[in-house]
Amino acid sequence: MALVELIKVTKQFGKNRVVHGIDLEIKDNEFIVLVGPSGCGKSTVLRMVAGLESLSGGEIRIAGKSVSHTLPRDRNVAMVFQNYALYPHMTVYDNIAFSLKMAKKSKNETDRKVREAAEMLELTPFLMRKPAALSGGQRQRVAMGRAIVRKPDVFLFDEPLSNLDAQLRTQMRMELRKLLMKMKTTTIYVTHDQIEAMTLADRIVILKDGNIQQVGSPIDVFEKPASTFVATFIGNPPTNILSGIIHKKNKAFSVKIGELILPVPSEQDFEDGQEILVGIRPDAIKAGEKILSFPESWRFPGEIIVSEILGGQSLIEFMVEGVNMIAEVEGRILECPGAFMDLGFDLNRMMFFDSITEKAIRKR
Amino acid sequence: MIKRFSMGTLLLYGTLGLLVIAYLLPAYLAFVTALKLPGEITLPRSWDLPAEMNWKSFSQAFSLLRPNIVNSIILAISATFLSTLLGSLNGYVFSKWKFRGSEIIFTLFLFGMFIPYQVILIPLFQTLRAMNLYGGLPGLILAHVVYGLPITSLIFRNFYAQIPSALIESAMLDRAGFFSIYTRIVFPLSIPGFVVTSLWQFTQIWNEFLWGICLTRYQSNPITVGLAQLAGGQAVSWNLPMAGSILAAIPVLLIYVFLGRYFIKGLLAGSVKE
Amino acid sequence: MRNISRDHIKAILTLLPSIILIGVFVYGFICNTFWTSMTDWGGSGALAENPEKNYIGLSNYRDLFTGFLGGGFRQDLVNAVFYSVSLLCGAIGLGLFIAILLDCKPRGEGFFRTAFLYPMSLSFIVTGTIWRWMLAPNGGVNILPSYVGMEKLPLKWLTSTRTILEFNWQNLWQVLLCVIAFFMIMAGLWKLKDETSRAGKRWIVIGVMTGTLAWLFGDILPKALFMEELHGFNLATLGIVMATIWQYSGYTMALYLAGFTGISQDMRDAAMLDGASSAGYYRFVALPMLRPITLSAIIILSHISLKMFDLIFAMTGPDNAETGHPALTMYLTTFRANDFAKGAAIAIVLFMIAATFIIPYLISSYRKGND
Repeated sequence: MALVELIKVTKQFGKNRVVHGIDLEIKDNEFIVLVGPSGCGKSTVLRMVAGLESLSGGEIRIAGKSVSHTLPRDRNVAMVFQNYALYPHMTVYDNIAFSLKMAKKSKNETDRKVREAAEMLELTPFLMRKPAALSGGQRQRVAMGRAIVRKPDVFLFDEPLSNLDAQLRTQMRMELRKLLMKMKTTTIYVTHDQIEAMTLADRIVILKDGNIQQVGSPIDVFEKPASTFVATFIGNPPTNILSGIIHKKNKAFSVKIGELILPVPSEQDFEDGQEILVGIRPDAIKAGEKILSFPESWRFPGEIIVSEILGGQSLIEFMVEGVNMIAEVEGRILECPGAFMDLGFDLNRMMFFDSITEKAIRKR
Repeated sequence: MIKRFSMGTLLLYGTLGLLVIAYLLPAYLAFVTALKLPGEITLPRSWDLPAEMNWKSFSQAFSLLRPNIVNSIILAISATFLSTLLGSLNGYVFSKWKFRGSEIIFTLFLFGMFIPYQVILIPLFQTLRAMNLYGGLPGLILAHVVYGLPITSLIFRNFYAQIPSALIESAMLDRAGFFSIYTRIVFPLSIPGFVVTSLWQFTQIWNEFLWGICLTRYQSNPITVGLAQLAGGQAVSWNLPMAGSILAAIPVLLIYVFLGRYFIKGLLAGSVKE
Repeated sequence: MRNISRDHIKAILTLLPSIILIGVFVYGFICNTFWTSMTDWGGSGALAENPEKNYIGLSNYRDLFTGFLGGGFRQDLVNAVFYSVSLLCGAIGLGLFIAILLDCKPRGEGFFRTAFLYPMSLSFIVTGTIWRWMLAPNGGVNILPSYVGMEKLPLKWLTSTRTILEFNWQNLWQVLLCVIAFFMIMAGLWKLKDETSRAGKRWIVIGVMTGTLAWLFGDILPKALFMEELHGFNLATLGIVMATIWQYSGYTMALYLAGFTGISQDMRDAAMLDGASSAGYYRFVALPMLRPITLSAIIILSHISLKMFDLIFAMTGPDNAETGHPALTMYLTTFRANDFAKGAAIAIVLFMIAATFIIPYLISSYRKGND
């Protein structure tokens, strides 16, 4: 239970700067997810909070106290590693009890806490086993047990689910969420998987090349991405990013993408002839009955290039007026490539980015 | 980790420095003694640098030890070659052609590595005499090849365990048999294994003494026996044994310094199993 | 296993020559030596074409352990035990210590590693020759302290006749029981520290009882010898121990260093976050994880110390009684005195000692391999 503050934190390995002055304030009991492609510096930030990497500049405070020069063991943080880092020569019991043993807690207290944690994680039947005799999911739970048993100020997770297979990952993700809701502890969670970020986080921090791209709630970063990078990184399939030119006619704006002309419905301020980037989420493109509620100018015939059926939905790559896009639509699209179908664009969800900086152009 | 140039760092380098000096002292003493004139060598001044460099000790020691060095070179090269080759074939069978009982046989092989060789010395001596091989190099080579088999088989077995079985299986689907898989696939992949094993065997055989002294006559003595005789004579002044020691150490030290990586691999392979 | 193919037959045929060689040269020869040790082969005609050998049962062994003339061998044996124990403690302790220092990743680690490991590549004869000179009574190591302003050391090293930890061979059984009791108590204390189980207390109680009984009523145990005979640790062996540690601590260092490097950084990080200090990390995490390495180091070093022959031969010559060792005595008995039968008996004794720890080691590693 603590506030964690990162103030102008930088990290350099030799001449290679991997974290460029990060400012971030993590509130008490908040669940923060650091997400970004590999090499974006997210794990380095996490390890700096843990004290496993030194800071090249800036400061980190936990509960108001600067910990920049505090040893990891004195920070009262617990970490779950990607490969779990369980001690292979110790039983599950001893693995969980190790931090308490190091803290010289009494045997009774240790025993009580270990059993409590094991109970919570349904590990009680496995307490006397060695990690080698456990399944992936059980090892994952032992790693969690080791972290929760000491009631730390901050939980740190370094891609904890990435070593599990897809089905188990979903299940463990939910368990993790339930557990952390019970524990009420400030948590920093690192992942490259945007689904984990969207489902777990109170706030998501998107990192790229050692810089923060955006901090916001999952809905925020999904609907109002701060840059084309965020727009394509969050959400699957990624946002269609298209370059276009603004046309102004009678105070109304429209954007011309290739030969496709889309009216701009919301109040935006553009110049005539301005080059911009337009983002359209695949799920903002509809087909079938849904499009009947759209104005005529939002509807276009698209030529199917290829379509995939994903159970209840379909992914379609199509071409409209010489522009290629991907749409995720309800229902099973059985038409063959080359066929035409009517598509409607939910233009209220259209996003605009500066064509040079690729940053979002916000509504007035 | 938090970097601190503190007492800890100082203590670390200080301790390491002292230890390194302690480990290098014998080498230093051997060099300065070898470079001194016999008259200059006295016990109380044994650590002092020589007043003038006397490189003659080396040429003198070399001329005394030359027959032994020649013997050791012949011995080490031929025994290394044979035992490495056999070890490679054995390792290939033990790791890629396991059959019922092959693990037991392998364990029984390993036992041969750990016995005190005194226990086979008398029958070995008798057998070589009966085969008319006693006293010369061929007998010694035979002994080194046979008792080198466990360690060479072990190193190669562990080495071949790293070659994925899928490679062997795909070769089998391509209709390759036992020997063509070995010559076309396994052997070309095992050059590092051969380097490790042969360096290890070479140093072991070069350094060996017990069989050298028990199984060879004077004219076939290897370098270690020659050196022991040179150093054992009380009348000889100390510069000669020291120069001889350095000469005897040079081949293995060269291997160690320039191919140390492989030497250490052999060292670990001989003791840590998977 | 699948049905045996042509290739499998080829594989077995490839292995066959080696199997035969190992079968004859290792197992056949051990049996032969064992047989020889129960004959009276020896004396002037020993090297004849067909030497006379008569079966005399275990009497060679009886001579060695309880005979009037076996005193030298018994001292050698005691020496070898002390030699092994001090070599194990020294080489493993020092090697581990250096490995931990190098695990801190100092600058120039490669140089340090080379400097600590180079003795390992040398022949024992080279080491022995150099160390004989190092340990000369009025020079070498003894005068080193004078370079930093201290007194010279008065030690006589290899020719010292002082003995410590002496005991009477007559009381062999009593001494053995006390040693066993000591280890039981230690094991018990060790267990008590770690666990709440009662096993620890039981070990201690049994240990204390054995020790007390052996101490009080040791007199009623059968005497191992008909007369008093004192044996102990010859201090002259200390020089040999030093040289061996110099040569082999680099080896244990390399083993441990390879082990430490093999432990993932995550493991160390986890231990640090769990509140372990550096010492705690090595004590509770790294060393227990490297138990197999410690075990191989013990096996290899015991094996080396048991057959130690070359180094002693080079350091003191073969006839220095103060630094005797059964391996050396075996050589002298067999090839100098031509007493083949007794030499064989000594070899078998060495072999038996080696077998007591190597056979369990091999069986356990065989089982592990089959898992």
